[in-house]
Amino acid sequence: METRRDVFQAIADPTRRAILALVAAQALTPGAIAEKFDSSRQTISKHIQILSECQLLSQKQHGREIYYYLNPRKIKAIADWAEQFRELWEGRFNYMEKVLNSLKK
Amino acid sequence: MEKKLSVSRIFNAPPEEVWRLWTEPELVRQWWGPDKFICPVAKMDFREGGVSLVSMKAPPEFGGKETYSIWHYTEIVPFHSIEFIMNLADQNGIKQDPVSLGMPSDFPTDIKTRVSFREMGEGKTEMTVTEYADFGQITAFAKMGLEQSLGKACSIFSPEKNTK
Repeated sequence: METRRDVFQAIADPTRRAILALVAAQALTPGAIAEKFDSSRQTISKHIQILSECQLLSQKQHGREIYYYLNPRKIKAIADWAEQFRELWEGRFNYMEKVLNSLKK
Repeated sequence: MEKKLSVSRIFNAPPEEVWRLWTEPELVRQWWGPDKFICPVAKMDFREGGVSLVSMKAPPEFGGKETYSIWHYTEIVPFHSIEFIMNLADQNGIKQDPVSLGMPSDFPTDIKTRVSFREMGEGKTEMTVTEYADFGQITAFAKMGLEQSLGKACSIFSPEKNTK
């Protein structure tokens, strides 16, 4: 399904965001990720699959285990998007500072 | 409701003064709108249940289009916090569908905005603007729904942003 790979759809789910936050700290095996949640291993594995499909997670084979880690490039694409909103308000704040200064005169 | 985006700044003025930026039309007109845009309209109806109408007009080189927004106040605690719902509107302050105004179909509607003011002493005030939207609806706004921890990770991965 095409929508499945939409990165923004992927992060709209709180469990998936929690998974991203977990692997942001360190690369983890699917088992280690699942341990942190009350949901079934199968459910978590589905979430991991969705995150992988939209490239938010990358995997690396290490011995017999697969480790998942955050894909910084993809994360940055989202961060850049959010940054636009931040910049919009930072710009308004700059104007507000000018207005406040002019009130003092 | 989940937290979506929050921006803070410490201003060199007491809360009563910073407050005026949101209540006085002639002050709102001076800061609303991005660079080079002007704000021809700021009709403030600043009270709980009231609706203010503000506009931003693009400079001629960007087509000169005027875009209206309405702020519907849901809670006002003097010198402490302001909560309102923001929407695109027509020049009469009637809420409009973003698509009909030429915006992308995932442009957010009903953006809950909270502005809070924190007295810092020595005549300083920290103002925080937080925008919320329902995560259930997959809007452009939901795209920013990153937990703070994730945001921290991002800043590690893009160090050039930190040197600004």
